[in-house]
Amino acid sequence: MAVQPEIEKKSFVQTVLDTADDVFTRITAGIPAGEVRRMIRGEAPGRPNPRLKPHSEAFLLHIKPTYYHESVTKFTHTFRLGLLSTYLFFVETITGLILMIWYAPTPERAYEDMIRLLSNVPFGQFMRDMHRLGAELMVLIVTAHMVRTYLTGSYKAPRQFTWFTGVILLVVTLFLSFSGYLLPWDQLAFWAVTIGTSMAEAVPPAIVGETVNLLARGAPDIGANGLLRFYLLHVLFLPLLLFLFFFVHYYKVVHFGISLPSDEEEVGQDTANKVPADRRVYFLPDVMIDEASFLIGFTALMVLLTAFFFSAPLESIANPQSTPLHTVAPWYFYWLQGLLKIADKMIAGVIVPGVLLVLLAAIPYLDRNPSRRGRDRRVAIISGIVAGIVMIILSWMGTPYYAVQGAPAVEVVQELMPEEGAGHVREAGYQHLPLGVYDTREHPTTDDAKFNHILHEFEASIARFEEQDPSFNNAYGILKITQEQPRLKRITWEIYWLSAEGVEDRFVRTFFLHEDSLYWEQYGLRDFSFLRPPGQE
Amino acid sequence: MKRPWYSFLYVRSPIVKIGLGIASLVLTIVLLLFIGIIEERRMEAQTANWAGREIEKGAELYANNCYNCHGMDGKGLPGVAPALHSKYFFTQRLNDIGWSGSLHDYVALTVAAGRPSRVQSQWAQMMPTWSNRFGGPFRDDQVQAVTAFVLNWEEDAMQQGAADNPDPWQYFEDAPSRAVVGEDGAPVAAVTPEPTGPRPPQELFNVMGCLGCHNLDQPQTPNNRGPVGPNLGNLYETAGTHGEDAATYVHNSIVNPNAYISEGYTAGIMPANFGERMSEEEINSLVEWLLDPNRQR
Ligand code: HEC
Ligand code: HEC
Ligand code: HEM
Repeated sequence: MAVQPEIEKKSFVQTVLDTADDVFTRITAGIPAGEVRRMIRGEAPGRPNPRLKPHSEAFLLHIKPTYYHESVTKFTHTFRLGLLSTYLFFVETITGLILMIWYAPTPERAYEDMIRLLSNVPFGQFMRDMHRLGAELMVLIVTAHMVRTYLTGSYKAPRQFTWFTGVILLVVTLFLSFSGYLLPWDQLAFWAVTIGTSMAEAVPPAIVGETVNLLARGAPDIGANGLLRFYLLHVLFLPLLLFLFFFVHYYKVVHFGISLPSDEEEVGQDTANKVPADRRVYFLPDVMIDEASFLIGFTALMVLLTAFFFSAPLESIANPQSTPLHTVAPWYFYWLQGLLKIADKMIAGVIVPGVLLVLLAAIPYLDRNPSRRGRDRRVAIISGIVAGIVMIILSWMGTPYYAVQGAPAVEVVQELMPEEGAGHVREAGYQHLPLGVYDTREHPTTDDAKFNHILHEFEASIARFEEQDPSFNNAYGILKITQEQPRLKRITWEIYWLSAEGVEDRFVRTFFLHEDSLYWEQYGLRDFSFLRPPGQE
Repeated sequence: MKRPWYSFLYVRSPIVKIGLGIASLVLTIVLLLFIGIIEERRMEAQTANWAGREIEKGAELYANNCYNCHGMDGKGLPGVAPALHSKYFFTQRLNDIGWSGSLHDYVALTVAAGRPSRVQSQWAQMMPTWSNRFGGPFRDDQVQAVTAFVLNWEEDAMQQGAADNPDPWQYFEDAPSRAVVGEDGAPVAAVTPEPTGPRPPQELFNVMGCLGCHNLDQPQTPNNRGPVGPNLGNLYETAGTHGEDAATYVHNSIVNPNAYISEGYTAGIMPANFGERMSEEEINSLVEWLLDPNRQR
């Protein structure tokens, strides 16, 4: 464009303004500045609607519908759970990419890299916590999204295939979480994944199970090969799969339109795509403002949770030679672990999940009831609720509280000072463990309130097990705290008891605790004690 | 149309939405700033945390693998293994062997490779190889952890040298100390403080270094022989088979080990000076304890 004749034709100022507007319109993919002002003022668009242009100009907007039915834009219809699932995938991709910079998937480096990330990379811990929190939230939100579409009957014709791709997305999300679980290469990761992959082994016939297991682990046991495979699954294959199925899923959603609240159409009809002109809500600007402000709000919530209430765990480095007491799966697999406690590996690990998955995918075909209205779907809704309750009960059974109590003495120590993770004693810390020998029979007290609390718990927990377990009688404990080295204390738990036959027995467990060690729980208020000037309590 | 009870969740006004969005954005920025400000301190705390945890891991490894030669408190056992919790070790040892690297490397390498050679050794057993790179049981991180633990004795060791806190070092025959003898250089036995009262046999077995050469739990049988000294797990059965009564035999074995050499072992391995280092009362209690079939550890 020749500038000179332009200026000659119009004034100089006008030319500058026009050029600016031109640039602006390119950035907004088709909406001139004046129209943006009218949007902000809340004025109705002209005809033809200039606000539709970006949907044909911009790639990201062309997949969004230009307008929605007013009823489905209500927050309480979808709870924005599908949007949120998509956003969480985005968050995971970004934070995950950043984590990849400091991570190498080999047993020699992975764990050390995690430590380096935590102690040497600005915002490294934040990124890791955010990624982990995002992953857990994603499982939660995707499940909630499924529950929402189930309760509104949105899987019914013509949306059966949308539901089916949704089931695939759910499975991929779970596998993504599970494959990421191994990467820190700590005891938590290693054993959860060892148990998880061992379920694949139970797939009949044996040759198939063994092959699947071998393919996943890369060797009979998880090692360098297994880690590399899980890494590649986690950062490449599964995200690509999710990406692909997301687009199929979303295409179907846009294609059929989001299902209307069931009261607004006749039973058996689907009018989601026939939106009367007076009920249209345009994406630009209304839905965009809604979605953008919602996602920003959600981001703020996530950052807040990460900053104060969530810290990704990191236990000791993976040790194939020693299984820590009470290895647990991540919480969203507790139900599987619960099943494994009451049935054998073949049934609980392969048949039940397989049947569940097929049933879930087949729901649109099993439920022949054409109505999406709650009062017509009592059976479906009640069976959904029953399934949910069964899942919660199974999950509870998956926790160590159910049916895996070891010997009482072992459990007493595990409660106070678990083999892995924090526990009360480590959380109280070096400062609150005065040197000495403390015998529960003497009900010792010290000047330190936190320590008194520990002693009290020690006593109470021994008493509790004494009551429960007939082969654990006249029990008492001795806690010895000695200085092992400068700034290192040795903590010895000794528990003595009489068995049912009256034979004396004892259990001794020794731990060490360094002054600088910080131990934390995954959920709960973060420990900011490092901000205190040293030597001050 | 009836609204569900949760419909208050739906904000209609775009102005309110934009307001909430901006407020959230401000909150996010404030939170990130807060994290940014404390980041330096957090990283320091984390660095110290993982160093601390490494020492904890090392302490566990030491307690499970090293203490029976180098002693519970790292002060070595006479004739079994040198002291690591020793001022000499932290200040003089590297000079005496002409090591130009750091003490950290010296410890890490010694632990990793061990000293699997028997030439002219004054020690009952060889220092085993620990790194799994050379056939030992430790991974690299474990070698590092136990090294961190050994080095953590420094602060304590540097206070040694006083009469009530002697340096427990032992003379190295293969690398005589160039330090001034008499100050740092006195052999350990000469400066061992007089015991304040009879020590219990469990403690004696440990501090006298019997542990380094004898296994208390395993029985001594033709197929299960202690590598350095006989296993003592079934001593109460075997002690009486040498023509003396059991207590006399064990007493003599301790005070004058070379008087009777157990089959398959050589004379001169078991130190002959235990009679001077323990009181008669202590030796008797040790004998009694060793012969007790239900002995408590
Ligand atoms: C079987 C007994 C034995 C065990 C177990 C043992 N050591 Fe040793 N260690 C020795 C002996 C003997 C020497 C002296 C070797 C020499 O100088 O030839 C030694 C030397 C050392 C040295 C070098 C000391 C110096 O001053 O040169 C270090 C460091 C050491 N050991 C650390 C360890 C650690 C850490 C462990 C546990 C993982 C361990 N040792 C386990 C017997 C043992
Ligand atoms: C440096 C290694 C070493 C140390 C340290 C050592 N012993 Fe021995 N001990 C031996 C050897 C080698 C024999 C076998 C040769 C002999 O009989 O002298 C032996 C033999 C014995 C026997 C005879 C065992 C039998 O079955 O005939 C007894 C008892 C014994 N030792 C007790 C002790 C006690 C108690 C201590 C500690 C105060 C101790 N030893 C320290 C190496 C050691
Ligand atoms: C990564 C996982 C998933 C993503 C990113 C995702 C995304 C979306 C989005 C953006 C929508 C638009 C409507 C809304 O926001 O509710 C949607 C609708 C839908 N989703 Fe998903 N979804 C996922 C998983 C699932 C799962 C697990 C199911 C069920 C098994 C499912 C079933 C459906 C159905 C049936 C609809 C249509 C809802 C309607 O028309 O009212 N989706 N999904």
